[in-house]
Amino acid sequence: MKGLELLKKAFALQPVERVPWVPFVGVHGGFLIGVDAETYLKSTDKIVAGVSKAIEEYNPDGIPVIFDLQLEAEILGCRLQWALHNPPAVVSHPLAEGKTLADLHIPNSSEGRIPVITEATRQLRKKYPDLALYGLITGPFTLALHLMGTDIFMKLFEAPDEVNEVMDFCTRIGLKMSEYLIEAGCDIIAVVDPMTSQIDPVTFETFVTPFVSEIFDDIRKKQKLSSFFVCGHAQQNIEAMCDCRPDNVSIDENIPLDFVKQIALKKGISFGGNLRLTVVLLMGNEDDAREDALACLDLGGKTGFILAPGCDLPMETPPANIKAVTELVHDSYKQDVVRELEKKESTLDVFNMKDYGQADKVIVDVITLDSESCAPCQYMVEAVKRVAPQFEGVVEWREHAIKKMDAVTFMSSLMVKNIPTICIDGKIAFVSQIPPKGELIAAIQKRINEKLKLRIKSKRSEILILGEDAAVCREINAKIQRAITELGKDVEVKVITDKPQMAAFGVVKGPAVVTVNYKLKSEGAEPSLDVVKEWIKEL
Amino acid sequence: MNDLLRKIADCIEFGKINKAAPYPPQMKGQDGADELTRQALDEGVKAQEILTSGLMVGMEKVGIKFRENKVFVPQVLMSAKAMSTAMIHLKPYFLSGEVKQKGTFIIGTVEGDLHDIGKNLVSMMVEGNGWKVVDLGTDVKAEQFVAAIKEHENAFVGLSALLTTTMVNMEKITKAVKEAVPGAKVAVGGAPVTDDFRKKIGADAYSSDPQGLVEYLNANV
Repeated sequence: MKGLELLKKAFALQPVERVPWVPFVGVHGGFLIGVDAETYLKSTDKIVAGVSKAIEEYNPDGIPVIFDLQLEAEILGCRLQWALHNPPAVVSHPLAEGKTLADLHIPNSSEGRIPVITEATRQLRKKYPDLALYGLITGPFTLALHLMGTDIFMKLFEAPDEVNEVMDFCTRIGLKMSEYLIEAGCDIIAVVDPMTSQIDPVTFETFVTPFVSEIFDDIRKKQKLSSFFVCGHAQQNIEAMCDCRPDNVSIDENIPLDFVKQIALKKGISFGGNLRLTVVLLMGNEDDAREDALACLDLGGKTGFILAPGCDLPMETPPANIKAVTELVHDSYKQDVVRELEKKESTLDVFNMKDYGQADKVIVDVITLDSESCAPCQYMVEAVKRVAPQFEGVVEWREHAIKKMDAVTFMSSLMVKNIPTICIDGKIAFVSQIPPKGELIAAIQKRINEKLKLRIKSKRSEILILGEDAAVCREINAKIQRAITELGKDVEVKVITDKPQMAAFGVVKGPAVVTVNYKLKSEGAEPSLDVVKEWIKEL
Repeated sequence: MNDLLRKIADCIEFGKINKAAPYPPQMKGQDGADELTRQALDEGVKAQEILTSGLMVGMEKVGIKFRENKVFVPQVLMSAKAMSTAMIHLKPYFLSGEVKQKGTFIIGTVEGDLHDIGKNLVSMMVEGNGWKVVDLGTDVKAEQFVAAIKEHENAFVGLSALLTTTMVNMEKITKAVKEAVPGAKVAVGGAPVTDDFRKKIGADAYSSDPQGLVEYLNANV
């Protein structure tokens, strides 16, 4: 199903086959195409290239055109400090610095960077007609804070009328911005109002609800979808946010997803979130990303849930981590694998595999989810099954289906991370890809050769020549060397002429010859008497 | 306890700045932190006592309410404003050394980050709990933190960040501070910061709310 359709279904709370996926790519798009944040946010071409690249890499169902909560503020006279790796920051607040509302105006569609994003939207719309394009606008409270600075917090109590006027002005701007973005081709308007996480529900209902509700109603009138994004500790306001009548609320890791799910579904709206931005996506690895995504997918469920990062992706988020999420979203089999692993990993003992693979035979282990229910696993097992008999009993193979606990332990003992995987004598040989027959045979043969070499080496022996007379010893040595060469053996020859040492071997009179076999018989264990007797017989 | 001190604590807790202030509605027309602190001093209450048994008591209550999501940033800012109004009367006693502070806390928003709401809240709370606060502002580089801790021996260092992209600078700064002053204690906080992250970068303390930091500092005096 096409992304937009799938999202519409999720927004309408209809059960979906697969959870829709919306990576919030902002300046990360710049990272993908190798430009800094400032260059990126100021250029239609770069935005189109960055978003296109993100679509190609992350196979999303919807994507924001840009993620920049400073765009409106800049036009209204807030000074921006640009950064290379971040969206810009607002550093001055006109209404706290002598300006009044009368000095400000509602931006028209050609002001500031509005044409940059509307044009980018148009081009992306044309290029990706089936994908949901999110148009982001700065929420009125956050915009009001840009204009007034932190004074707004105290003015909520000390000058509520003034705050209301500014909120109303910011709402007019929000309405206009959503109009521009809808005209340019956005399907979903997201009102992004992170600063509302800093106020209590009563203040929210007094100063935010009347204004944002107007924006959501207007979007609905225009027959487009809406979403209310907050980040931060906004748990106290979730219910109030839902009451503003957006079609969706999207939250970050600060709020438990199941909490939001419960309230949103009760209120009849969809919800989204809340992949962990920093610890997982930015600083974690692919396994962390998969695990976190799965946790979200399992908590969110397939009705009314949209998988998304908690907020704007940090610019330098490793693409591999986001791709890992993408893969998981699109592959229910991978989800099963991660789910199985996660369930069991916490209670794992790891086997001591130090001596694994020392047996005479070569052991081939195939780690699978379960070859009966998982196609890739089945093919991998069959590949091994076909090849093993050709080695006529030298190769022993086993399947470890990780639906069983001991198989999971075995898997982690071998440090296997992916399913399916083939290990040869405990070493990871083939990961995920089914090896062609020739390669598999070659890999096993290589191991057999290695073992053979080891064996030959371990049989290395010594011959000691004991005698006081050096000339006699030399003569014997020459004979022995000839014998060694003729037999093709690898034997070391030592000459001992020291009397006390000779005596240690029980030699009273030279010359004498002693053979010594240094084969290692046991290590780290006390052998039984019977075993020791057997060894002695060998000599 | 002195009735005046209790009233001062209430003013801080509820953000009553002075008599003229309309907020909070339930205290309309009553004396605020401003008037009551003056009165207490005039009646001969020691400045130290006003701080410890009045202001700090109120501030601690706000800190706890903030942690428990009973009040939010706007209310805390009102409390802080009431606090700083009271502090103006106490300033001379700080300068003369009559009022002793628990220690010094150096704070700043880390390099690349210009957000100061969180940092300001923390510094108000810490100051309100009897600490001297050296506020280095926003976009503070490692060298600035190092210079500050060299100047204020035995000070604690607090790093704030709002952005996921700037919080990574905390690691560099923590290292620099600890290299310059082995044994220095570094606390980190801010919306994206977690205790896992704190461990990862080798900082000493993390709290999701200002009161947690105050408790950490008080426990380590």
